Amino acid sequence: MKPIEIVFYVLTGITLLSAITVVTARNPIHSVLALIATFFCLSGHYILMNAQFLAAVNIIVYAGAIMVLFLFTIMFLNLRREDEESKTNLTKMAAVVVGGILMVTMLLVFRAVQLPAVNEGNFDARTGLVEQLGIMLYSDYLLPFELASVLLLVAMVGAVMLGKREAGDRHF
Amino acid sequence: MLPIILLSVFGIVLLFMGFLKSKVLLLPATLVFILAALATTFMDWGKTYLYFQNMLLTNNLAILFTTIVLLSAFMVVALSNSFIEDEQAQPAEYYALLLFSLVGAIMMISFENLIMLFVGVEILSVAMYVLAGSDKHSPRSNEAALKYFLMGAFATGIMLFGIALLYGATGTFVVSGIKSYVYTNAYGVSLLLYMGIILLLIGMLFKVSAAPFHFWTPDVYDGTPGLFTAFMSTVVKTAGFAALFRVLSVSFVGVYSFWWGTLAALTCLTLLIGNVTAVYQTSFKRMMAYSSISHAGYLLIGLTALGTQTKQALVFYSLAYSLATISAFGVLLVVSRQRQDTNGVNENFDAFNGLARQNPLLGFVMAVSMLSLAGIPLTAGFWGKFMIFTTAADKGIYWILVFAVLMSTVGIYYYFRVIIAMYFREGAAEPVKVAPFYRYVLIAATILTLVLGLAPGLLEGLV
Repeated sequence: MKPIEIVFYVLTGITLLSAITVVTARNPIHSVLALIATFFCLSGHYILMNAQFLAAVNIIVYAGAIMVLFLFTIMFLNLRREDEESKTNLTKMAAVVVGGILMVTMLLVFRAVQLPAVNEGNFDARTGLVEQLGIMLYSDYLLPFELASVLLLVAMVGAVMLGKREAGDRHF
Repeated sequence: MLPIILLSVFGIVLLFMGFLKSKVLLLPATLVFILAALATTFMDWGKTYLYFQNMLLTNNLAILFTTIVLLSAFMVVALSNSFIEDEQAQPAEYYALLLFSLVGAIMMISFENLIMLFVGVEILSVAMYVLAGSDKHSPRSNEAALKYFLMGAFATGIMLFGIALLYGATGTFVVSGIKSYVYTNAYGVSLLLYMGIILLLIGMLFKVSAAPFHFWTPDVYDGTPGLFTAFMSTVVKTAGFAALFRVLSVSFVGVYSFWWGTLAALTCLTLLIGNVTAVYQTSFKRMMAYSSISHAGYLLIGLTALGTQTKQALVFYSLAYSLATISAFGVLLVVSRQRQDTNGVNENFDAFNGLARQNPLLGFVMAVSMLSLAGIPLTAGFWGKFMIFTTAADKGIYWILVFAVLMSTVGIYYYFRVIIAMYFREGAAEPVKVAPFYRYVLIAATILTLVLGLAPGLLEGLV
C-alpha cells in the first residue's frame, strides 16, 4: 500500500465515524463538534484531490464561520428538556427501507463502475490554487458566477424582509 | 439573455423605489418591467443562440416557456393591488423578490449548463421560501415557509449529488455534451450516469411536486398567502417542466429505455394521489394544491411519452393550466377576503355559495377556469389534455392513457363542486366588490382560455 492510500483510508475512516456521530449523538453540542471534525476531514480529502484553495475555504467558511453560528444558535435555544419522540415506528421502518435501498444501489453502482485511473504524467500542483480557479471563474464560468450574486441578493433581501418588525395587518 | 439582465437590474431598481414616500408607483412599475422583459425575450425569436461559453441556449421553445412564465407573473402582480391599500405594508420587497425569482425561472428554462440549472433552481426556490413566509403574523404561513425551506434544501442537495455523478460519468456539465457522451457510448454507458439521472430526477420532481415527493405541497400551498400560491403553482411548475423537458429530451434521450419505466410509474402515482385526495378536501385552496399535483401528473405523461409532439403539448398545457389557475386564485382572493368568518379569511368551498347570483362575472370566470382545469371541451384545458394524451397514444403507451382518462373523470367531481356551490347554493346576500383593473385581468385570462379552447391551432407550428 502506498503512503497516500494509507492517508486516504485513515482519513475516510475518521470522516465516516465523525459523520455517524453527528447523527447519533444525544447532546447537540457533541453533534456540532463532530460536524466540525467531519469538515476538517473533508478538507483533507480536498487536499488529496489537489484542490488546496477549496480545502482552505472549506475550513474558513464552514468549520470556522458557519459552525460558530451553529454553536451560538444551539446555546441560545434551550435543548435540555427531552422532547418526546414524534416519529412512529412505521415512519422509522419506511425511512430505514428507503435509505437502505439507496445505500445498496449506490454500493452496487460504485463497485461496478470502472473509473479511469489517474494519469500521473499530467499532474500539475497548481491546478487547485487561486490563480487557476480565478481564471476559470472569470472566463468560462463568468455567467453563473455573476448570477450567483442574484442568489445571494435574494437571500439577503429575504432575510431582512422576514426579520424586520412590521406593524399592522396584511391582505394578500 | 437580455431578460435575465433586465430583470436582475429591475429588481434592484424596485428595491430602491421602496425608499419613495408614495407606494402608488410600485405596482405599475413592476408591470412595466415585466412587459419590458417580455418584449426583449422576443428579440431572439426564430434564432438559436448560445451565450457565454455554452451557459445558456435560447430557441423558440425556451422563448415560449419564458413567455408563459412572464405572462403568469404579470397577471399575478396585476392582482396584487391589496398591498397598496394596507397602510403600513412595504410591498417593494415582494415585487423585487418576484422579479428575482423570474430570473431563476428563465435560467431554468434556457440553461445549457447544469450549473446554470442549479443556480436557477436555487434563486427561484429561495425567493419562494421567503414569499411563503411573508405573512409573518400567521402561524400557517410560518409553517409553510419552514416546511418548504427544509424539504426544498434537502431536495436541492439530492439534485446536486445527481449533477456531480453526471459529471463523474460524462466529464461535462453541458447538456449537449452529455448527449454526445450517451450516443458515443450507447452500449456501455457508465452506471454513474444512471445514478445521476435518478437523483437529478428526484430533485426536479420535488420542485414540480410530483408524487411521491409531493408531501410538502398541500401544507405549503395552503399556508402561503394566496397571491404567492398562484405564483408558485404556475411559474415554478412551468419552469420545472421546461427544465425537465430540456434535460430529458436532449441529454438522456439516448437512454430513454432506462428512465421511462420509472417516470411512467411516478406519473400514475402522481395522478392517483393528486386526484383521489383532492376529492376529500373541504378547503378550496387545499383542493387546488392537490389539483396542482394531479396536473403535474398530466404534464409528466408528456415526458414519459417523449416524442416529436411533446414540446408542443407541454407548452399548450402549461399555458392553459397557468391561465386557469391564476383566474381561480384571483376569484378566491376577492371572495375569501370579503367573506371572512371567525378564523379570518374563508377559503373553503362554502365561501363560493351563491356567488353567481351576487356577482355573475366572478362566477363565470371561476366556472370557466374550473371547466378548463377539468378538461371540458371549448376550453383551453381540453385541448391541453387532448395533446398530452395524443403523445401517449403516438408512443403506444395505452395503459397510461386509460388510467389518465379515468383520473380526469375523478377530477370533474371536485372541480364541479365549486360550480355547484356558485350556481345552486344559497349564500350570503352582500355583493362581492371587485376593483376595475382586477376585473380586467380576470376577464383577459378567461377570454384567453376560451379563445385557446375554440382555436387551439393558434399556437401550432411555433415550436
